[in-house]
Amino acid sequence: MGNGNGDNQETVTENDGVIVLKNVTKKFGENVVLDDVSLSIEKGKTTVIIGPSGCGKTVLIKHLIVLLRPTSGKVYLKGRRIDDLNENELDKIRTNYGFLFQGGALFDSLSVAENVMFPVRQHYKITDESGINELVRTKLAMVGLDGFQDYYPANLSGGQRKRVALARAIALNPEVILYDEPTTGLDPIRADIINELILKLQRGLGLTSVIVTHDMTSAYKIADRIVMLHEGRIFADGDTEHIRSHSDPVVQQFINGRVSEDDLEVLRMSGTISRSEFEHRYLEG
Amino acid sequence: MLEVIGVKALAGFHNMGRFSRFVWDAMIASFYSITRPGTYPLIWTQMHIIGVRSVPVIMVTGAFVGMTLAIQAYDQLAGMGLEEHLGVLINISVVKELGPVLAAVMLAGRIGGALTAELGTMKVTEQIEAVRSMGTDPVKYLVAPRVLACLFLTPFLIIFADLLGIIGGYFVSVVQLGINAHAYWSFSANGVELWDVSIGVVKGFFFGCAIAAISCYKGFTCREGAHGVGQACTEAFVASFISILALDFALAVVAKTIYSTFWPLKSLV
Repeated sequence: MGNGNGDNQETVTENDGVIVLKNVTKKFGENVVLDDVSLSIEKGKTTVIIGPSGCGKTVLIKHLIVLLRPTSGKVYLKGRRIDDLNENELDKIRTNYGFLFQGGALFDSLSVAENVMFPVRQHYKITDESGINELVRTKLAMVGLDGFQDYYPANLSGGQRKRVALARAIALNPEVILYDEPTTGLDPIRADIINELILKLQRGLGLTSVIVTHDMTSAYKIADRIVMLHEGRIFADGDTEHIRSHSDPVVQQFINGRVSEDDLEVLRMSGTISRSEFEHRYLEG
Repeated sequence: MLEVIGVKALAGFHNMGRFSRFVWDAMIASFYSITRPGTYPLIWTQMHIIGVRSVPVIMVTGAFVGMTLAIQAYDQLAGMGLEEHLGVLINISVVKELGPVLAAVMLAGRIGGALTAELGTMKVTEQIEAVRSMGTDPVKYLVAPRVLACLFLTPFLIIFADLLGIIGGYFVSVVQLGINAHAYWSFSANGVELWDVSIGVVKGFFFGCAIAAISCYKGFTCREGAHGVGQACTEAFVASFISILALDFALAVVAKTIYSTFWPLKSLV
């Protein structure tokens, strides 16, 4: 299975990748967000999807778990097509995934322990409450928050919320874990804690990870492979060295955080207005 | 011009279709929840929030309805020497129409707004998507308990509104306006039938369903941001209010047809 756009191979097996997107296009009305994207996610590896804001990264990651369905194209999990399943069938499939949302998406009305227990209670009949308490303790210990069981999300910092959300995402021991902007909004130290947790989970549990981010420091630290999305298409795909040394100026501008000459020209042309000029032009007249 | 009308009509049909689909899913999920004792704790929690906490405002609403009716109707009936019939007028108005409708409108404001705001906030903070991502149907987990709580408890809340409406009407009529208590209750007992009370209570099932379904739908489909949640709450209340009035009219027609089929209509005086 090739990586990149325009793959027309028909049969998909588990060997092609744990998750495979095949010629996926997603439109919202007339707006094309994903344009014929084909991508395979390798088992046990960390794939980082980068790209500028609004390029379709979050839409792409939601297609991997079929929270969004493609307008055209197919999604496979372990060789089985899943984008055409009904919601009841998908509910079973989704237990293979953990999803860390950008803001954590913890349930405000539930405590930390209840949040972590949530997926377990939904899918298993609990007969031993002490056992589930032990499970919660173990999961919270994995993210360094044992002892926070009785806290509510409102009492946690942004970084702690994401760590609780991560504990919840791994509660069912998923095979694949999806991270939507895991370090956005965190200071560099808290962001690095999240990066270390992602590495720990990948190395310790052998999880397949897909991370959407525009934080290049994180991307270089955790990625086995980096895929750059630009204007709804895969623009670059390779390991960190491949991306660092990519010859395309669009890739270089993004990874180095530099604005393009065209955008700079627009900024120069737009000019500025001083306070005195503003008062003279708009207030006194 | 025609194009604009066509586009708006299509959008309206699209919304109706989505709402119908949502209501169907909610019905299936509610039936599923009733048959699974594991979901009962969720229903009890919603019953407490929706039912128990609404009792005070519903009772106050009912009491003022009864008292206001007494004040308004007394002069008219006294002018004809029929003031002792005030009880039947107040009580039949309260149990058949004003109690159920005003209690439901109060619930649409108190519960409908809260449900829409809660679910709308959950939607914009991706909590609903988080439920789905963990392999749980958000309609089963979030909507069914709320629909069932509204369905089961709105009739009981209407009974509370009726009770306080009757007491309020009695208080003003007998204690304040000096109508003979025995005559007041005697005419009431003759004029108000079990049918009248039952119709009012049965309306509660329909009103409860409408409030829950509309409010949850508006929450699930609300747009991003504080403005989106606020607008969804407003739309939920307006749509619930209109639905309550429309359902009340439809149920009144049906009830009258059934009643007149089996029993002759009788005068209140």
